[in-house]
Amino acid sequence: MFLAIREMKHAKSRFMLIGLIMVLVACLTFIVSGLANGLSAATTSAIKEMNTDYLVFQADSDNKLNRSSLKEDKLDEIRAQEGVTAAAPLIQTMLTVASEQADKKVDVTLFAIEHNSILMPKVTEGRSLSGSGNDEVVVDASLKAKGVKLGDSLHIKDTDAVLKVVGFAEHQSISHMPVVFMDMEGLNSLMTSLDQRMPNLNAVAVTGDGAIKQTLTDKVEGIQIATKQEALKGIPGYKEEQSSLSMMLSFLVVIAAFVQAVFFYVITLQKTNQFGVLKAIGASTSYLATNLIGQVALLAIVSVALSIGLTFGMTSMFPDTMPFELGVGVLAPYSALLIGVSIVGALLSLRRIAKVDAIEAIGRVE
Amino acid sequence: MTDILVMDQVSKSYGEGDTVVTALNQVSLRVGKGEFVAVVGPSGSGKSTFLSIAGALLTPTSGRVMIGGTDVTAVSPGKLNRVRLEHIGFVFQSSNLVPYLTVIDQLRLVAKLAKCSDQIANDRAVELLKEVEMVHRMHHYPDKLSGGERQRVAIARAMMNDANLILADEPTASLDSKRGRAVVEMLAAEVKSRQKAAVMVTHDERVLDLCDRIVTIKDGVLISGDGEHSHNTVNQTDRMTAATR
Repeated sequence: MFLAIREMKHAKSRFMLIGLIMVLVACLTFIVSGLANGLSAATTSAIKEMNTDYLVFQADSDNKLNRSSLKEDKLDEIRAQEGVTAAAPLIQTMLTVASEQADKKVDVTLFAIEHNSILMPKVTEGRSLSGSGNDEVVVDASLKAKGVKLGDSLHIKDTDAVLKVVGFAEHQSISHMPVVFMDMEGLNSLMTSLDQRMPNLNAVAVTGDGAIKQTLTDKVEGIQIATKQEALKGIPGYKEEQSSLSMMLSFLVVIAAFVQAVFFYVITLQKTNQFGVLKAIGASTSYLATNLIGQVALLAIVSVALSIGLTFGMTSMFPDTMPFELGVGVLAPYSALLIGVSIVGALLSLRRIAKVDAIEAIGRVE
Repeated sequence: MTDILVMDQVSKSYGEGDTVVTALNQVSLRVGKGEFVAVVGPSGSGKSTFLSIAGALLTPTSGRVMIGGTDVTAVSPGKLNRVRLEHIGFVFQSSNLVPYLTVIDQLRLVAKLAKCSDQIANDRAVELLKEVEMVHRMHHYPDKLSGGERQRVAIARAMMNDANLILADEPTASLDSKRGRAVVEMLAAEVKSRQKAAVMVTHDERVLDLCDRIVTIKDGVLISGDGEHSHNTVNQTDRMTAATR
């Protein structure tokens, strides 16, 4: 590292410029990955957070909640199967509600569940559904940003029906809409009051031993069973959203690799004669290679570290409602990847260094 | 007198079959401790090839090269850098200093390569820079030095690893005659005081009188290698230099 550090000190501006490009590319990588993560959460968190192993949908529904429709008797049939430890019904519907207090309309997804079933999320503020108060709801904490508070009433658009907020739960969002949890009985009485028929179930959440997937597929007709991961792919737009973002991310990583690889390659070409002299006075190829790798690694690590700082600086200016989530789980793998590809890119220059012959130093006038 | 550099029947040819070019033909040379030998010859005569082989930069086609008792022709190419590091000090043509190292760091680099301790390296570097009168410039970069100063640093660098053999490749090439002479004087003084064996390839006849012996290479053949002849050459050169004055 004797040479590496002195060269970087001497040619500060050169290394700072390339470092700046690396910082910007890394920063963009982190922001896009944070966005991908945030969008993924906004689209799927309600399903991801579900305390279940499998979701049962109607056959040929492509694991889409809104396409699937299951009769009540299917639930009983599923519950009756061997190996099933719990089965919880779920009805999903879209609503537009207006908070009486905040005077603002919000689109939400209503999840009607049995209040004591596995689908009841953990309440982080307020209390859980009691099962007795028919108009009670537990809502996603993101509604707080829209001015909804505990005890608020939510008017359902075009009706006289009112829902009362008794609790908040974290990370309950689907298709960019906050989820409102309501007891099955509550929905029933709501429908009765609106003079409408109770809708069919959209899905049944099932937990049990490893064999239940096969058991259910064999024994219960007209259903399909999906793991949580498979169910996520059924959420409209999720797959498309994630694949376009991951394409951007892979391009960014490739760009980062090339930026450093080309920079060091050009510098190495420029220094061919100097490497000849160094080899002539006794430097081994591995000594020169270590110095080069040291430079690349140092530049990559410092750039990535700076860009993590920059990314957090920038994200603090993002609005709270922006779907953006950046944690160690995202930063660490992408940081390692960026540093890794930089070092792989340096191998291109290593080949040049290995090829330089010490004899270049003799008989040369500059 | 022990011979530091022994070249025995060394030949080097390039190419194959009909296109063989012989750059060196059966060259033998011995250089002893404290001896400063100049190698002269027209361009294309094989001077560079000669120096490259003597400096363990190039492997001869046939013949044997011994440096400080080590047969370098028997050393594998991957280990030659070690031989150069331990046994040979180089002074190249112009500006062969590393541009981003200060004068003292140029010397410390050699010590780093040899894995010498920092304290010893520092003391030695300062001592050598004093000898070549460069100690006042030790924190300058090469681009702030004149051509002569750079060559003085190069001489100090060549001495840094305490090698037995010093090889100089046209050290006066980019210097005017006064500075060129000063550099060679300094080199000669270092060779004498430290009892090194030195070989200098040059076409600068004005500095030949500073050398103990002069050998000429022509078309790959060493013409005047023996002592007596070379003394004549020195005398001739002296007369020539005197005549031109």
